[in-house]
Amino acid sequence: MSLTASITAPARIIRYSAANALADMRHMYTWKTWTFGWLGRMLAQVTFFAFFGHVIGSADQTRYLLVGNAVMTCVIESMMVIVSTTWERRVGTLTLLSAAPAPLSWVFIGRSLQWPVSGTLTSLAALFGLGPAFGVHWRAGQILPVTALVVLTAATTYCFGLFVAAVAFNADGARNIISNATYLLMMAVCGVQVPTSYWPDWVRVVAQAIPLTQTLKAIRSVSGGTGPALVPACWAVLLGVGWLVAASWMFQLMARRGRRTGSMGTGA
Amino acid sequence: MRIFLTGFRFQLRVAWGSPDTLQICVTAPLFTLVFMAIAEHAERPDLAPFAIVSPTLMSLWTLALFIAGELIGDERRSGTLEALIAVPARLSTLVIGRICAVTTLGLLSFAEAWLVAGLVFDRWLAVRHPLPFVLCLVVTALAMAATATIFSPLFILMPSARTVQNTLTYPFYLLSGVLIPVAMLPFWLRPASHLIFLSWSGDLLRDSLAAPAPHDVAARLAAVLALGAVSHLIGMALLHRVLRRVRRLGTLSHS
Repeated sequence: MSLTASITAPARIIRYSAANALADMRHMYTWKTWTFGWLGRMLAQVTFFAFFGHVIGSADQTRYLLVGNAVMTCVIESMMVIVSTTWERRVGTLTLLSAAPAPLSWVFIGRSLQWPVSGTLTSLAALFGLGPAFGVHWRAGQILPVTALVVLTAATTYCFGLFVAAVAFNADGARNIISNATYLLMMAVCGVQVPTSYWPDWVRVVAQAIPLTQTLKAIRSVSGGTGPALVPACWAVLLGVGWLVAASWMFQLMARRGRRTGSMGTGA
Repeated sequence: MRIFLTGFRFQLRVAWGSPDTLQICVTAPLFTLVFMAIAEHAERPDLAPFAIVSPTLMSLWTLALFIAGELIGDERRSGTLEALIAVPARLSTLVIGRICAVTTLGLLSFAEAWLVAGLVFDRWLAVRHPLPFVLCLVVTALAMAATATIFSPLFILMPSARTVQNTLTYPFYLLSGVLIPVAMLPFWLRPASHLIFLSWSGDLLRDSLAAPAPHDVAARLAAVLALGAVSHLIGMALLHRVLRRVRRLGTLSHS
């Protein structure tokens, strides 16, 4: 395969798969149900946690919770890749996909792209729309870097979510549980609600391997003007690429196992 | 009563191994972990009751919304609704029995939350006023079961409501003060909060865990029961409307 073909072939498959993702999104939401239903729900979630800062009685804590939970909304949506990866099996197309010569991972990389896109919009609405109401004000120069970092958070979390989806490839019934448990653990240890330094060393080490920890550090650096954002952002990129490679490898492994055991159409 | 207990036992068996019930068993401790971490990091151990009560009420609400809300629809999809309606036993009694089983399971999340606070953060919370506490848990479970009777027929009457099923969580948690006391919500939101039974339940449960004796216990319990009763009446009216409609349209066994 030539170099050009080795790039265009996956890109074409990912594009087709992303078109499916977009169709799913259109089927699920209209702009009204997304705005007043989904976005409203996520903004309520951010407000819910930010209000806890009010209960604590600390303006700093309120701002910390607002930023953390606003960024968390794109993580929650990106982690929905764990759930939507099962949809191919449910509609009976997984056996056909596994019989096709293209790697399964290319299909799944594009198949749930609606989530990070929608998640990015949700996070930006929460940060820039809801933030000022809780004392998080933005200067013009901060908007672009924060937007780029939110996109990076959604993209790298999607890569991490793909890996978890691949690990849980045959556990159809537990998809929602795995998705919810994973994002709640991330919410606890990645610096969303409390700084990572609050947790024991071993938890902190695990948290460093999750892209959210790095991107959130970068976003807090930009919003507070407390330090360089480039270093954690670069770490997030590296981690995102690493998780994507691991996810591709895991999908191949699971596909091989599924073909061998004849469980591609039925799951475990 | 026999029909109620039959529905209760049946639902316990169904729900025990269902992914939705397991989800609550997993998410309730994790929510406690999150809330407790915030409170402990802020050096506010007095907020531990908030961190324990909140996941309990959230779990009850989630179960009501996602399991109880699907009861009638599931029977209809599996083609068993016709048989259930044809038998002389009242469907509403059976449904209430099943929903009560779901909310009873939801109460287990309190034990989980209490254990997480103790095991992870070494905050072994004493229930200082056990009688109001237990009474409040019981009437809350009853009011939740009564409220859940609204969802099941509603999702059949308005299929579009299912699209926003997930959106009925956090806006509701916020409004009903499951984590934040109603007194701390904006002034203009408070009247609406008082119309949701969870706001009374949350306040009384937290007060029962605190040192001072809770005040007006009987009146607050009565408020939870009264609001639950109103929800139940609405739920029953909706259920009858659904049954009339599917009979008239001949779609008892169609989803």
